[in-house]
Amino acid sequence: MSGTNTGSLGDLQRAFQDYLFRSSDAFQAAVRDTKKADRVTLLDVYRDGYALRLIEVLTNDYPGLMAMAGPADFDHVARAYIAAHPSRHPSVRWFGRDLADFMARTAPYDKAPAAVEMVRFEWTLGETFDAADVAPIAADVLLALPPDAWETLTFTALPSLHRRTFAFEVAQAWQRRDEVEPGNLEVGRADEPVTWAIWRPERISSFRSLDTDEAAMLEALVAGRSFPELCETVAAFTGDDQAPARAAWLLRTWVEGGMIAGFSSRAAAG
Amino acid sequence: MCAAAVDFGLGLRPEHYEEIAASPGRVSWFEALSENYMVPGGSPLHWLDRIRRDYPIALHGVSLSIGSIDPLDERYLDDLKALADRVEPMWISDHLCFTGLRGLNVHDLLPLPYTEEALDHVAERVKRVQDRLGRRLVLENVSSYVTYAASELSEWEFIAELGRRADCDILLDINNVYVSASNHEFDAQAFLRAMPRERVRQFHLAGHTHKGSHIIDTHDHPIVPDVWTLYAEAVRLFPGVPTMIERDADIPPYEELLAELDVARGIAASVAREVAA
Repeated sequence: MSGTNTGSLGDLQRAFQDYLFRSSDAFQAAVRDTKKADRVTLLDVYRDGYALRLIEVLTNDYPGLMAMAGPADFDHVARAYIAAHPSRHPSVRWFGRDLADFMARTAPYDKAPAAVEMVRFEWTLGETFDAADVAPIAADVLLALPPDAWETLTFTALPSLHRRTFAFEVAQAWQRRDEVEPGNLEVGRADEPVTWAIWRPERISSFRSLDTDEAAMLEALVAGRSFPELCETVAAFTGDDQAPARAAWLLRTWVEGGMIAGFSSRAAAG
Repeated sequence: MCAAAVDFGLGLRPEHYEEIAASPGRVSWFEALSENYMVPGGSPLHWLDRIRRDYPIALHGVSLSIGSIDPLDERYLDDLKALADRVEPMWISDHLCFTGLRGLNVHDLLPLPYTEEALDHVAERVKRVQDRLGRRLVLENVSSYVTYAASELSEWEFIAELGRRADCDILLDINNVYVSASNHEFDAQAFLRAMPRERVRQFHLAGHTHKGSHIIDTHDHPIVPDVWTLYAEAVRLFPGVPTMIERDADIPPYEELLAELDVARGIAASVAREVAA
């Protein structure tokens, strides 16, 4: 078949891509000047366009980072990321996926942990935006279950539900991203790290902070623990007496908030 | 499903979702960017399904990379096929170009050299994609800024021969013809006249940015008079081909695009009257 990696077509394509990545200028020899423009000017349409297009993608994905960093620093980190992480997905939707990890391990961005957390928060919001659609369950379905069903009752969370723990107040700051000049968004450190739930009950994404016992119980729920085990998780924070009521209340809050996709019990079909 | 003729359409853009859904019937079809809807769920697919209830839709991709020396991306094709099964599009189009190799995507429409080698390579891949999708592929001429020293054919010879060899259709982007003709100093009318009439499936119209020594296809401006003139010639040569306007940046209000589409309608009607007379 045609399409082997040898031959002039392959050579030209490799040279073109290397030119875009600034790893070689050899491609200049493969193209012609025109009467109106020299070849380098024309090739720069592609080379500049490559970076500008991806910077625009990151700008759309990370308005909170732009508000914190300002255009010059944003451009700096975006270009560093583009050089280190060429896109491997057919859709630019996924291009910015590794930005938080890149910043966390790359100087000088690793000295800006609040910015790294902002990027992680914004990417998670994006993940909830187009996650698989599953209708949340309603509370009355659970209320109709026979008492013995609760002994083995487990739950599944919505596909869009993510939990993230932040040492900085990035979610609060993100809501102020349009109220300040780019570069002026201040992000304070939280008194202690806080776990946030980020999910999309219908078409609009939601996020809120979780109390410590709530975060622990939600982690247990996502891990597939039964309702009695969820109560035990909460008991570590509230004591045994308060645990069942607190666990039931939290569960109801999550169901009413549209976080729970389904349930099952050995005693009753879910 | 709309029973009216598929004639004048627009690109489906999130900025206009609500207005489109609220006022059906002001255009006859939409072109949706395939990759934007290759996602698990959420708002994009909600709106696509909603608007599909009222309008025929064509799927238009940017990442098939039909000319790349990389193997075809099987996962991409799976996703495209799944989207097509959901949308039941009138046709599926992408660009005659390559968008990367070595597993990477540069997210740009890079031109191919117009050589026999490239022709063989692309024709073979188009056939495989068509077999996979179970339908003819529609390929668009791209705007280009460089001319390969290695090219042996003109762009229009390449496209016409590709259509014949691969039995694929052509999305004739009038603005791209204009941009490339200006950048490479060829006759845009000759390009149009060389297109095989039976394979021209759709027209694109768009705006561009003139940089003095060259023109860049930016899709961020209204269509310029010279492109409208070329469009009139295209309508004369290929009557009845569906037309749509692409706007991808500085997206104006929906009403503004509807008004621009009315200009296309007026030109097509005027050409039809001329031909009838």
